[in-house]
Amino acid sequence: MKRFSAPRAGIRRKPLSLLSLPVFAFLVVPTLIVVPVALNNSRYITFPPDGISLAAVQGFFADPAWTSALSASMQAAAIAVVLGVVFGASAAIGLHGRKFPGQQAVVGLVLAPMIVPTVVLALAFYQFFISVGLVGSIVPIGLAHAVIATPYVYLTTRASLAGLNPALVRSAQSLGAGTLSVFRHVHMPVILPGLISGALFAFSVSIDETVMSLFMQSPGATTLPVKMFTDIQFNLTPKIAVSSALLVTVATIGLLIQVVYVLKRRSTARMMPLAA
Amino acid sequence: MSTPTIAPTARQPGTATARKGAIELRQVRKTYGEVVAVDRLDLSIQPGEFVTLLGPSGSGKTTTMMMVAGFEEHTSGSVMIDGAPVDSLPPRERNLGVVFQNYALFPHMSARENVEFALRMRRVPKAESRRRADDALDRVGLAGLGGRKPRQLSGGQQQRVALARALVFNPAALLLDEPMAALDKRLREHMQEEIKALQKSLGISVLFVTHDQDEAMAMSDRIVVMKDGRIVQSGPPEEVYNHPVTDWVASFLGDTNLIPATVISREGGEAVVDLGGLGAGRVRDRGARGDKYAVSIRPEHLTFRVAPGRENSGTGELVSSTNLGATIRHRIMAGGRELQLRELSSNGGAAGQPAGATVHVGWDADKAQLLVLEG
Repeated sequence: MKRFSAPRAGIRRKPLSLLSLPVFAFLVVPTLIVVPVALNNSRYITFPPDGISLAAVQGFFADPAWTSALSASMQAAAIAVVLGVVFGASAAIGLHGRKFPGQQAVVGLVLAPMIVPTVVLALAFYQFFISVGLVGSIVPIGLAHAVIATPYVYLTTRASLAGLNPALVRSAQSLGAGTLSVFRHVHMPVILPGLISGALFAFSVSIDETVMSLFMQSPGATTLPVKMFTDIQFNLTPKIAVSSALLVTVATIGLLIQVVYVLKRRSTARMMPLAA
Repeated sequence: MSTPTIAPTARQPGTATARKGAIELRQVRKTYGEVVAVDRLDLSIQPGEFVTLLGPSGSGKTTTMMMVAGFEEHTSGSVMIDGAPVDSLPPRERNLGVVFQNYALFPHMSARENVEFALRMRRVPKAESRRRADDALDRVGLAGLGGRKPRQLSGGQQQRVALARALVFNPAALLLDEPMAALDKRLREHMQEEIKALQKSLGISVLFVTHDQDEAMAMSDRIVVMKDGRIVQSGPPEEVYNHPVTDWVASFLGDTNLIPATVISREGGEAVVDLGGLGAGRVRDRGARGDKYAVSIRPEHLTFRVAPGRENSGTGELVSSTNLGATIRHRIMAGGRELQLRELSSNGGAAGQPAGATVHVGWDADKAQLLVLEG
């Protein structure tokens, strides 16, 4: 199968890769600077570092204010990933291969959280959760994150469904499969890569989200970015750099999972829909 | 929609040998908004019968099959399987084996897993389902290939897997939606024979959809010709081919000579007609009524004669002779119109005649058909 020859041919073009190298460096280096800063042997944020030590890292994990922020972020992300995957995947499967009046409007609605400015959403969620009395916990933040994570899962799932032969659904039905069996045996194998990358997107969207979390923060429901943002105004502790480094690490791990997964799928069986 | 109160006994396992698989459509109609896809269709398929819906795209043949399978809901009318209405049953409860145009095999499952799928859904014990799947694969000539994934199989093999998968659970009937469209000509002809042989040995009813008239001719017990959501003609292949009721059917099922005719008298299945420049004719008449008539004579039913005849004949000039390999196609200008005559190359016949020679042609009364000129 010749499907993957095209990207490789692109890399071989030397002049283009020489040009893209500085762009790549510009994108990545500032992000990576937080790592030496986090390992700095100083009580303040400084660069270049004076010496290397794990003091700041240890300090971060010894400080309950920072660890509870980390845990709040993880809880919000867990809610966002689970709900985002369920909503996004359901929307993608439900809208797949169908045509009905107003379909574009429904798609627009699903994608809206990507387009609406976060600060508008933040204000809306803030007022909504106050009016329903759901404040003072991580739940409203997680729910809000789920809303902005859903379009990402929808898009990645929709992309993987594009290769699905609609006759597969019909043939499974004719063979006696109910809705759940059709999902398990027809949709699931096809959308799994889309679901995984969608879940990773949802996770990083939630971990990174600051504005809504700031609006809805409360004691015990302060996420890591919010804690960083509020702290940086008062003291330049290297713990901020530690949390940044932590987020970079988490993002890198997520990316690696995806790369490994994709490579594994390519080397083993490629799931090619027949006669797509 | 009413739910069937009688559980059809034919659904019981172990009755594969019993004659079942009667499908009946009564006044079935399907509309998409203003568009009528299928218009009050009546069709009944006897147990063990191989019925082909033949028509151009947009004739409603696939929609009709999808309504039988339950993937499309009909607007009105009723579909019955073995005497029980299935209108309110979802596809998975209709117990019909469906083979789709591109087979629709599950790409991540092996051939055997594909075949076993229906048995798994029916909670057949693992050992039994494996044995039955292997039997089914064996029956379609794929013994030993059960472990392969669909993409490791050729087009013909994939189709066999699709057939085995559709047959393994003893369905009431088999629905085939242009199953040979993706195969090359040689393989297609081979598979036509194989499917036909398999259908005969199993005695299963088949509803077959195609736009390929050769395929329909080769496989069917009965051809149902559809056009614009309606049945134009229905009958055994030879009958539909030799005795089309309209000029459209005649031209859709292969080449034909259409000669406008004036009916002089019709009686007892025979009509006496005036064929203009070709003189008088005596032809088959199946009672079709319309404003304008024509006579259809297939090119292979037109033959050279040594002398001019009194009726059903003509004299004219040989325009051209083209050797097509197995047959020779002659064009003859007679009675002011061009006629096509096809004869076997091995006949020799008029093949020696040069273009421009005067030739006599004629046809048998029962090979010429009076039909209605549409439009």
